[in-house]
Amino acid sequence: MAAPIPRVRMRGISKRYGTIQTLNDVALDLAPGEVLGLVGDNGAGKSTLSKVLSGAVVPEDGTIEIDGREVRFASPADARAAHVEMVYQDLSLCDTVDVAGNLFLGREPRRRILGVSFLDKRRMRADAVAMLQRLGISVPDITVHVENLSGGQRQSIAIGRAASFDPKVLIMDEPTAALAVAEVEAVLELIRTVSARGVSVILITHRLQDLFLVCDRIQVMYEGRAIAERQIADTNVEEVVDLIVGRKFSARSARNTQAEGVAIS
Amino acid sequence: MSTPAQISSVPTPATRLRPRGLKDRFFANGGVGSIAVFFVFVVVLFSVATEDFLSVPNILNILRQSSPLLMVAAAMTLVITTGGIDLSVGSILALVSALCAILIQAGIPWALVVLLMLACGGLIGALQGFFVAYEGIPAFIVTLAGLSVIRGVALLTTGGYSIPIPATLSFVELGRGWFLGVPVPAIIATGIVALAFVLFTQTPFGRYVTGIGANAEAVRRAGVNTKAVTLFVYVLSGTMAALAGVVLAARLGSGSSNAGQGFELDVIAAVVLGGTSLFGGRGTMVGTVLGALTVAVIGNGLILAHLSPFLTPIVTGTIILVAIWMNFRIFRGAARKR
Repeated sequence: MAAPIPRVRMRGISKRYGTIQTLNDVALDLAPGEVLGLVGDNGAGKSTLSKVLSGAVVPEDGTIEIDGREVRFASPADARAAHVEMVYQDLSLCDTVDVAGNLFLGREPRRRILGVSFLDKRRMRADAVAMLQRLGISVPDITVHVENLSGGQRQSIAIGRAASFDPKVLIMDEPTAALAVAEVEAVLELIRTVSARGVSVILITHRLQDLFLVCDRIQVMYEGRAIAERQIADTNVEEVVDLIVGRKFSARSARNTQAEGVAIS
Repeated sequence: MSTPAQISSVPTPATRLRPRGLKDRFFANGGVGSIAVFFVFVVVLFSVATEDFLSVPNILNILRQSSPLLMVAAAMTLVITTGGIDLSVGSILALVSALCAILIQAGIPWALVVLLMLACGGLIGALQGFFVAYEGIPAFIVTLAGLSVIRGVALLTTGGYSIPIPATLSFVELGRGWFLGVPVPAIIATGIVALAFVLFTQTPFGRYVTGIGANAEAVRRAGVNTKAVTLFVYVLSGTMAALAGVVLAARLGSGSSNAGQGFELDVIAAVVLGGTSLFGGRGTMVGTVLGALTVAVIGNGLILAHLSPFLTPIVTGTIILVAIWMNFRIFRGAARKR
């Protein structure tokens, strides 16, 4: 991995919550247009690491470089300004706000009247329809509150929001958790499309089969550390499972195949 | 760059959502629907039961008397929609009306006094908003403390006496005057409510107020300074409580540290009656106006019907319970909590 200038270069990232060292000196590299699968067991630190990159969590230690320039994200606004977008595991939607409002949350089109900025609702709705169409997401009424949508539609909106604003880095934390089979395929297709356009993608998922469909490389987290990385061509599901659950554990359970089955499902 | 795996022709996600019809819209705004029914009901009831209720002077009188309630309820709608509450508005009203009278007696020009008082209310709101937004203390606790402390300061400065304001000053026109046949306080309240409506429904700020009540972390992750937005709604409620205090002092021609006892509960009742959710995320300015007017009409109508004024709290409380119950049972949209 000797890319000229990595899109993202994280070094020595550490974060502690109370007595738990959630991240311990973690490094992460990401090339332009690369799709990186970030895997690990629950509590391994995947989500926290990705939130550090999206500005939602501020680490105690460590540096982040975007396109070779060191950045410091004190808030999600800073990360957004650097074109880092994230689809959060909890989707981060406001239930009592309509679809268009959620898509444009924090960057609403505005028009100024007498120096006061007002929401440009008409443009917001028109743009929202266009955005969703481009991504193949169908929502019949853009003015409906998102609380009235299905889990899959909500997830589609969260993904559409992150993918639509010209991201350089797109982080997806369990983007397919609530989706039906066909919708999962649509998301994987979306990942391929945006990465072909040069967007770097970090995909966090428990669905290991998805990793092998879209990822170029896999990084494995274990108890707050990045313990391994593999080019996708050089590895297989069995090895990734062993890495996720930890070698010691995998050695003990080698006698039966339960560990693998549990982790994959 | 992309992977060798091939999956062709992915169907777009299927949907079973039908377009939203008129009925859905009505039920989604169920809070407003039920208070509108109640409002019409009490107006018709008192129109039939009493002779004077539907006369122009009485309607203008209702508007004059309810204007402090309307102003503060407009700001309280924003506070409650963020998921907060401001219990201190009655105490701020009392402190401001007392300070107002003291400063005018001291010979300070009344226009300056009004500006100082609005700033005072805003400052108190900012202080409380700081503890709520930046220190994360529940709004109920912060403003409960505020309710106690501010009332105490008002009592301490006046010694418990009511302070007269000379009726010769044009200041009292703020509470007693007429403009184009409409009471001045009603004009002020209408302006405030209209501004609040535009702020709430047409600006990014209003959108963030709703968003914070629904999912504050989502709004923060969207890059919005949620703490500043939260602080500002308390500044607004403090300022509006101060304005209400000024108007009340002008109307009564005196400032009293005992004014506005229980005012905060009337305001909250009006807002909640209007269909704004105490859990946050759901607010309606139209509902608040209807709620405040309903509370005012009940008080006025019971007196005109020669019934005991002590019935007012009983009737108001009953209507609050029934209206909210209707929201939960009939308008399920309003009852559904994220």
